[in-house]
Amino acid sequence: MNREILLEVKNISKTVHGLAGSKVRILDKVNLKIEKPERLGQIISIIAASASELTALLKIISAIEKPSEGEVHLSGKQYHKPAGDIVFIPEHPSSFPWLNVKQNVEFAINFKENIPGSIDNKVSEAITFVGLEGYETHFPDDNSLGFRFRISLARALVADPKIILLDEPLKNLHGETKKEIFTLIAELSKKINVTIIIASMNISDAVLLSDKIFLMTRHPGKIADTIDIDRSNDLNIHSDYFHSLKSEIEKLLTGYENIPLK
Amino acid sequence: MRLKTAPAKNLYKYIISYFVLWILLFEFILPSNNILPKPSVVLLSFSALWHYYKLLFNFTVTISAVYLSILLAYFLTSLLSGYIVRKNHFVSEFLLSLHWFSHFIPAIVFGLFLIYWLPGSAYIEYLFAFFIALFSLVIRVNEEAAKVKHEYISSAVSLGVGESVIAKKVIWKSIQPAIIKYLIVLQFNIWSVLIAFEFIKGGYGLGRIYRLALDYNDLSALFTISIIVGITIYLGTQLIKYFKNKFYHWSLD
Repeated sequence: MNREILLEVKNISKTVHGLAGSKVRILDKVNLKIEKPERLGQIISIIAASASELTALLKIISAIEKPSEGEVHLSGKQYHKPAGDIVFIPEHPSSFPWLNVKQNVEFAINFKENIPGSIDNKVSEAITFVGLEGYETHFPDDNSLGFRFRISLARALVADPKIILLDEPLKNLHGETKKEIFTLIAELSKKINVTIIIASMNISDAVLLSDKIFLMTRHPGKIADTIDIDRSNDLNIHSDYFHSLKSEIEKLLTGYENIPLK
Repeated sequence: MRLKTAPAKNLYKYIISYFVLWILLFEFILPSNNILPKPSVVLLSFSALWHYYKLLFNFTVTISAVYLSILLAYFLTSLLSGYIVRKNHFVSEFLLSLHWFSHFIPAIVFGLFLIYWLPGSAYIEYLFAFFIALFSLVIRVNEEAAKVKHEYISSAVSLGVGESVIAKKVIWKSIQPAIIKYLIVLQFNIWSVLIAFEFIKGGYGLGRIYRLALDYNDLSALFTISIIVGITIYLGTQLIKYFKNKFYHWSLD
């Protein structure tokens, strides 16, 4: 039985100004459909070899930027004005250094009208979920990238979005911090009714986290393949299933490089 | 090779050396000269400055014009920041259109027009200092707003926060430390143009004392006033730095 469509990206193209007045097409008729999750949440990854094209696509999906052509639909309705239903978390820290953790999280709902329930409860639930309980009065400037990512995530959660877009969330993280954030993102889809879309250039991270992966060509970006991940299968960095998926994706991405540049 | 980007390590040693050199040279070796006054005469000139040049009154006029204008301009800029930082808003476009003239007409020329339009006004220098402070701040706010990290703006936009809230609560907050830091440069600029303005206009202020000192050929008064101005600007700078570190600790990283 077909599930209801949550997000539909229809023929999105984006042309930007290049050097010496030239025009560069960075996205070309991007089409993708994401169904509502079977269980509570889901993680979808978009892998490409070009970071700027991935970021451009996420910004268009969240309606921060307008496409040159095409439309984005959320639950059947056109999503062309940011309304907090699709929240974008950029690659670089976006928590505000002039606000402490609690004020940063509150920022997402302080300026909205008709918020159901207690704002304080929502804020403290989000802070607890991302593991920042006890750090409410700390300022992000004093802390690590992982800490700042947690704040951005809590701020996104408190807005109660249908979709959270993460632009290369693990790229600048290392060691223990990377493991913690990886686990946090995985937990999020199991405990909260939200679809997470991750833009990534790291195949291993995407395979280990996702339920579905879209593969995008570069120059210009275009969805070329979709890979469904069977989460019931044994999936860890030592498993055969992981390695077969990884090599399949690598092979496909390498194949796209032979597509003539437009 | 080490690049010398930091302030001189032994700055205070140099300052004390210049002071000792001044005493030695101009008190004992060259007591009669037209370059710098004798230190003992400088000490005696305080009394003359106080009684004949009305130092307290004139100093109060200039210092209040400088710092009240900065405070008021900062307050107004803060109040209008939601409009100033927004591209294509008529308030920012209007203010920036006036900025165009400042590329070609020096601020002191605007002061000359004020003197012509309002020759008898006691508050004219307050008005002059305020306009210079306000336009300098508005221009600076626009320049700094262009440097705000797009991550801050993108994440706020995607949360559905409105344009005016982003202007006021994200862009303005983000640039506040840079604006406070700019006040150090601004106070120096206002001191400079205001002294020139008072010098030309006459009436009150330290510029008026400079003019009288030149008319009377009073080198010690000229020197002492300059020391007082220097110390005041130094204290103003320290105060601004204290406020910046205490209340505006964040940076645009």
